Amino acid sequence: MSIITIATTKGGAGKTTLARLILARAALAGLKPAAIDVDFNHTLTDWVTAVAKYPITVRHELDETRIVPLVTELHETHDLVVIDTAGAASQATIFAIGCADLVLVPISPSAADIVEGIKTVNLIRSASKMLRRELPVYAVLTAVQPGTNIAEHVEREVAKANLPVFPTRLHRLVAFQEMSFTGIPPTSGVAGVQTTNFLDELETLGAWPATTKLAS
Amino acid sequence: MAKKDLASVTTDLSALASQMPTQRPAAAPPPPAAEPPALKVVAPPPKPKPQHEPDEITQFSLSLRKGLRKQLARLADEADMTMRAFVLNALKAKGLDVRADDLVDLRKDRR
Repeated sequence: MSIITIATTKGGAGKTTLARLILARAALAGLKPAAIDVDFNHTLTDWVTAVAKYPITVRHELDETRIVPLVTELHETHDLVVIDTAGAASQATIFAIGCADLVLVPISPSAADIVEGIKTVNLIRSASKMLRRELPVYAVLTAVQPGTNIAEHVEREVAKANLPVFPTRLHRLVAFQEMSFTGIPPTSGVAGVQTTNFLDELETLGAWPATTKLAS
Repeated sequence: MAKKDLASVTTDLSALASQMPTQRPAAAPPPPAAEPPALKVVAPPPKPKPQHEPDEITQFSLSLRKGLRKQLARLADEADMTMRAFVLNALKAKGLDVRADDLVDLRKDRR
């Protein structure tokens, strides 16, 4: 597995932050990662181009007819492909989901995030049926403020909706926000530990290439 | 890396995708290739150095009657402080050199 699509029809849930974490830590680990930015705002593209401190290939593509060929091309030449989608359902998002080995649906603590997260998971399940293959999908709880009522409420609501949830919770931490300015992913402190746990779990799911298969 | 066969994705998902809006830019001239983004980002300034020289941290335990400890816990809770910060605040009022960084809630760091 090496194609991870990050999708939710809600903006601001943490899609690009997740993409940055995965891509930067992959590059830091000596892997060759590629990103496809399907968002109008090209936030990920700008970050990779102007801020990121490690080699990451990035392509900004809004045209749904070009998503599948682009994923195929990058998959051949990279260890890992991460697709960051727009915060709204679109044809490009559907094809990005269809190419994925794993789909992550970030949910930050808000009612709209949960509603849109459920819609997105349902959309992925529909796509899975049409493809006649299982598309592994996990909600990732982001911007978590542990020990608060809202955090516990989100956990309950997500469980009630029967959403599969990624074991690691990513807390609302300054280090994750700093990464958007510094281009350096957290490797130490609480944010570093959470990121490492998150990546370990990706590896357990087979979505994280342990070693590079490509000549540098 | 082996070539991934995604050929069927477009065909299989076209019916589902057709219900969604397109993001495809209208037939407009393509944007100039490989132009660097007009984005200017500045890294945040480094963390300010502590105003005081770091002082060695030491620990000591305190034995209290259970009732007194309960009262302390209740008062600290009412003041939205840790018991440690509450005690240090009281000592500060008595003239001890208690600094702002002494009152940081260390529990958050331990999570």
